Amino acid sequence: MALDPKIRINLERSVFCLVDSNPTALEALSGMVRGFGVRKQFKCKTGAEAIHVVKTQELDLIITDAHVGDMDGYDFLRWLRREAQPEAQFTPVIMLSGHAARSMVEKSRDSGSNFVIAKPFTPELLLQRIFWVSKDERQMVKTETYVGPDRRFKNLGPPLGIKGRRKGDLSTHVGAATDPNMDQTDIDQMFKPARVQL
Amino acid sequence: MSEPQFIKVKYSLSEKTAAPGGMTAELANERAARELAALGGDARKALDASIKRLEAHCQAKSVGMDAVYEESSVVLDIAGMFNQRILCDAAYSLCELTDRLRTAGRQDWASIGVHVNALRLIWTKDKQLGPEMKEVVDGLWALTDRMSPT
Repeated sequence: MALDPKIRINLERSVFCLVDSNPTALEALSGMVRGFGVRKQFKCKTGAEAIHVVKTQELDLIITDAHVGDMDGYDFLRWLRREAQPEAQFTPVIMLSGHAARSMVEKSRDSGSNFVIAKPFTPELLLQRIFWVSKDERQMVKTETYVGPDRRFKNLGPPLGIKGRRKGDLSTHVGAATDPNMDQTDIDQMFKPARVQL
Repeated sequence: MSEPQFIKVKYSLSEKTAAPGGMTAELANERAARELAALGGDARKALDASIKRLEAHCQAKSVGMDAVYEESSVVLDIAGMFNQRILCDAAYSLCELTDRLRTAGRQDWASIGVHVNALRLIWTKDKQLGPEMKEVVDGLWALTDRMSPT
């Protein structure tokens, strides 16, 4: 499932927000992202700083650690998906997770991030997930208990440029439908019991 | 309960990444690895300081499990950014142990001490880590698993 090394990716004009309460880890993350070609990045050590950046900047991607000092990353994400200004609510998010404390497991599941990366990880893996986010076609789902990308991947298959792991995964994009949808009468007809000649 | 809403979203990131220019994934990864290598010295200092603080906690036995958990998370966080798998696995075991202990309202400094000694050993060996280190980590997990989750 590795990203094809020849694939081109242009992150020069992208604006990232990086959130991690640990200064060393934040610098390492920033270095990786700089290596990928991202020129504009906002580094935040606390949830409050991240909230300020979300409120004042147009961001293309947020990469946040699960621990962000004054609030945990899940609470920040929950705020983003539910309370941030509408144009920022669906900003894609990659969550970096170290240890998942038992009290956090449910929060982690319901956090609404696009992808979660477990530590340790390599720059290759991070770049692959950024690429996946850029090709992510899942719809956003808004319910009383969850706001975030549709958790179901199955019908979409692997992202473009990635070879699927399942036998039935399609290697090319299926694309939009070319014929009109069947009308309800046709569908009903298919379910109607009919006598057959054996 | 209200009906779920499905919203089609087009990310600005998709448009920008597909713009002409940029670089290959191979080059991007090489550049990122170089940036990380340049930060390696500071990371080593921070990791060493963190393990020292854990050793001090073990000596004093005066802090709560929350403090040990936080410090072991720091080791995991930094080691995780530099893909130090063995160190991460050992730190993860310590995180899990202290999380289980604090949930149960208990302390077990002997088990924590074994973990911290193992962290120091792995850290000292660093580049000369052999397959025996996996057994060390398995041993740590055996200790952690004695403390069943509540």
